[in-house]
Amino acid sequence: MRASLTSVWRHIARGVHALGNERGMDRDMHDELSHYAEQLIQSKIAAGAAPGDARRAVQREVGNMTNIREGVRASLWETSVSSAFSDARYAVRTLRRNPVFTLVVTLVIAVGIGAVTTIFAGANAYLFKPLPGASNTAALVQFDRITPDASEGTQASFPYYRYLRGQTKTLSAAAAWSKVDLTISRDNVGRSAYGALVTANYFSVLGVTPELGRFFLPGEDEGLMAHPLVVVSHEFWATHLGADSSLVGKEIGVNGRPFTLIGVAPPSFVGVFTPLKTSGWVTLSMQPALRPTRSMDANASWLWTFGRLRDGATLEQAQAELTGLTGRYVKEANEQAWASKYTTSRAIPLTGLPDDAHKMMAAFLAVLFAAALAVLAIAGVNVAAMLSARAISRRHEIALRAALGAQRSRLVRQLMTETLVLFSVGATAGILLALLATRALERMPLPTDEPLVILLPLDGRVLLFALVVSLGAGLLFGLLPALRAARKDLQTQLRSGGSGSGRRRPIVSNVLVVGQLALSMVLLVAAGLLVRALQSGQRTNPGFTAEGVSIASFSSESWGYDAPHAKQFFTELRARVEALPGVQHVSYTTTVPVTLSNSQIHVTPDVEYGAAADATNKHLIGTNNVDADFFNVLRIPVVQGRVLGKQDAAGAPLVAVINETMAGRYWPKQSAIGHTFKSGDDQITVVGVVRDAKYATLSEATVPFAYLPFAQQWRSDPTLIVRSSAEPAAIARALTQAIHEIDAALPPPKVLTMPEAMSFSLIPQRVAALVAGALGLVGLLLATVGLYGIVAYSVGQRAREIGIRMTLGAQRADVQRGVVRDGMKLAAIGVLGGLLLAAGASQLLGAYLYGVSPLDAPTYAAMSLLFVAVTLLANYLPARRASMADPMRVLRGE
Amino acid sequence: MSGDTFTDCPLADDQNTDVIPGTLDMLILKALSLEPMHGFGVSRRIEQISRDVFKVNPGSLMTAFQRLERDGLVDAEWRQTENGRRAKYYTMTRAGKKQLGLETADWARRVAAVSRLLSAD
Repeated sequence: MRASLTSVWRHIARGVHALGNERGMDRDMHDELSHYAEQLIQSKIAAGAAPGDARRAVQREVGNMTNIREGVRASLWETSVSSAFSDARYAVRTLRRNPVFTLVVTLVIAVGIGAVTTIFAGANAYLFKPLPGASNTAALVQFDRITPDASEGTQASFPYYRYLRGQTKTLSAAAAWSKVDLTISRDNVGRSAYGALVTANYFSVLGVTPELGRFFLPGEDEGLMAHPLVVVSHEFWATHLGADSSLVGKEIGVNGRPFTLIGVAPPSFVGVFTPLKTSGWVTLSMQPALRPTRSMDANASWLWTFGRLRDGATLEQAQAELTGLTGRYVKEANEQAWASKYTTSRAIPLTGLPDDAHKMMAAFLAVLFAAALAVLAIAGVNVAAMLSARAISRRHEIALRAALGAQRSRLVRQLMTETLVLFSVGATAGILLALLATRALERMPLPTDEPLVILLPLDGRVLLFALVVSLGAGLLFGLLPALRAARKDLQTQLRSGGSGSGRRRPIVSNVLVVGQLALSMVLLVAAGLLVRALQSGQRTNPGFTAEGVSIASFSSESWGYDAPHAKQFFTELRARVEALPGVQHVSYTTTVPVTLSNSQIHVTPDVEYGAAADATNKHLIGTNNVDADFFNVLRIPVVQGRVLGKQDAAGAPLVAVINETMAGRYWPKQSAIGHTFKSGDDQITVVGVVRDAKYATLSEATVPFAYLPFAQQWRSDPTLIVRSSAEPAAIARALTQAIHEIDAALPPPKVLTMPEAMSFSLIPQRVAALVAGALGLVGLLLATVGLYGIVAYSVGQRAREIGIRMTLGAQRADVQRGVVRDGMKLAAIGVLGGLLLAAGASQLLGAYLYGVSPLDAPTYAAMSLLFVAVTLLANYLPARRASMADPMRVLRGE
Repeated sequence: MSGDTFTDCPLADDQNTDVIPGTLDMLILKALSLEPMHGFGVSRRIEQISRDVFKVNPGSLMTAFQRLERDGLVDAEWRQTENGRRAKYYTMTRAGKKQLGLETADWARRVAAVSRLLSAD
């Protein structure tokens, strides 16, 4: 009512003035109160009291002057500001006086916050963050063609995309793109580039604006070979084009043809699939030159599609409309049977990952995040326990301050401030840890020739998350100890001289320690299982010898080579590589075993030719196209018949070498040699049987498999696979040189060793094992410290009792045994609880546990042993110290 | 804060009580309406005029002065006392006078209403 604007202003001005002049304020209040008291005394003397009596009476009447001053000050708003400052100052001073405590607590918090922040940065980058470089991303959707039960999906054919684009009302625009291998060259020096073949509206639908030059104009994706235009990424421009802005508008080579460089994309934009760094963009009009093996007709599905929602349209409306359109398209278009089963459409937000990858990533990160949260919880509980323990050792100070007139709320606030200061420092260190961890992950070398990029920026969202989590953890784990410490049983505390209030069992702390042990047990069991899975993956005999083998992949289309030119090149290259010193065997292959890639075909073996050979009757087998020497390169033993040879050339009768599983399944109890099977219209004769091997992954069950001659099925993008006694680095150099001797303009290949390439398939396990193991060890360490603290505390409480017992003749060993037994009860409960929890939690890891049961007994046994050993130590140390103490000194109360 | 202190104080009147909650500001302003005064003077005047029915404790008084000062209803100045001490003297401002008028009227209205209620059959 009285609060006019001027009076609000006066309040603020006076408050601020008082803040800057606290000492003056204090003196004023002191003078005013003394004057008041003086006057009161005078008036009592005037009324006839003796001066001494009057003074004493007034002292009683007015009470503690400091209390009054506190009371008056408490009514002023600036007091809360100033006391927050002084609390913080006091907290910093107290913490600096206990550097070890402060350091340990800060590190514990830092590890917890660092762990969750790092994982959250991953989730942010791959799940939450909108597509980098795009604008108004909320309206961007990607859509797939799927079967009605959503079990299978396919990419779009060009006619299907064109149909949707023409008919849709819910999308304001629809774009399409596909991967294309590019070789961008300047001055006859070529560079391999991961490229995208896009519709002209690709950039405008995403809302990306060029850093330099322009993007594609409407219509520049039409007309065969009409628009030889290329846009490059900022990084490619900076790294390989010398950041030369005068190149925009000039000609550069793309796959051996002259293209005009029309623009440079902004640094933030790396394409629509963010884990793969796109370096160049060309329009679909150039498809015949750049990717001639892909067809623009209705039976070639190779485009990814996305669009922008019209204002007011929702994702659900778009999905409903696209599903309706897809159904109509299937009726109208003349598609082959395999394509027409995809009658439905699924629209999801454009996230930077295809739908299935998005789900896998989410599941993977959820597991890691749970582990990180567990560590944060352990860290928080530990900090709470340490704060409680410290509050006990400080209870004298606290009791004294309370007796001197500090209000309980003020004390709680003071203790909370200390906790928050601890957590702020810890969180800052944690964010630094996260920064180090994400930088290390970004730089982690990836054994793959795909342009995989890991970007885990600690942006505003991640920092906000870290801040909120730190504050939340600080409040959660700091409030309870503060409230307990500021309990009002001051009298007891002061009277008992600080030696504790009887033998009350620290139930809360016990529960916390048991919880910590259980949680770290879960983490370590998970880590153990993942390590076992890795070992079992590495132990698995893949059926071939990977050591001594190097591989290099090529994309002859991206060099602008047509098929005859490419065949000539590959033949010559093989001859040159075979002649290199140390090289023993050389082969081309379409897929490299155990690198997560596979190709499959439907076949009908001759024994079933008579039966109704319809589509459902066909068997799915794995295939690979290889040269004669392939089995020597990988040392796959031949069981029967012959391997492929020079005679199995293009035009010669179709032949295959099959694995034992295929031979045993279709031609059991007889030799498979000479039998045939059909794939489509081709009839293929079995000429040899080789030992089973692993094909796509180490964990797969062995499938029927057929090796077909590379020469009989030409591919423009083979991988050269070489067995050599020379160093891998020497092979890589020699290979690059051999390529450049044939054509100096070709980009240098990325050469990997076979073990490197295979290790890529185990990266999720490796990362998960590393993270869970690191977190689990930290957790165990923290829990052990916690257990040690509790035992040491309870021993301290029982010092007198132990002293008496020892005076009465108890042996050291008895005392030690007694203490350890008590502590081990806690440890046992923790370990048992942890085992049960781990048994439940490990079921979630199922997908990552190749060849290991989630209930793998050795892992559980080993971890239990580890825990028992560590907790025994944590119990024994304080027990030993207690039993070593001189009973007489303890009893004398020293 | 003061209840306990006064019960065992031999010089205090057993009958006196704290002022009616919410009226302290009005009573201070009324006391100051005659002349500028220091804190003890205000407290003494309230006690005397109320014939020792109301007792003002120094803590509430100081708090109230801080509030009134910040609201601009009183001004304060430091003066030297006879024995060389500093004393803080409070003066009612124009806004304070206006506020006193408002609160007095409001109080009268409320007292009248309560009396009517209590005397109703």
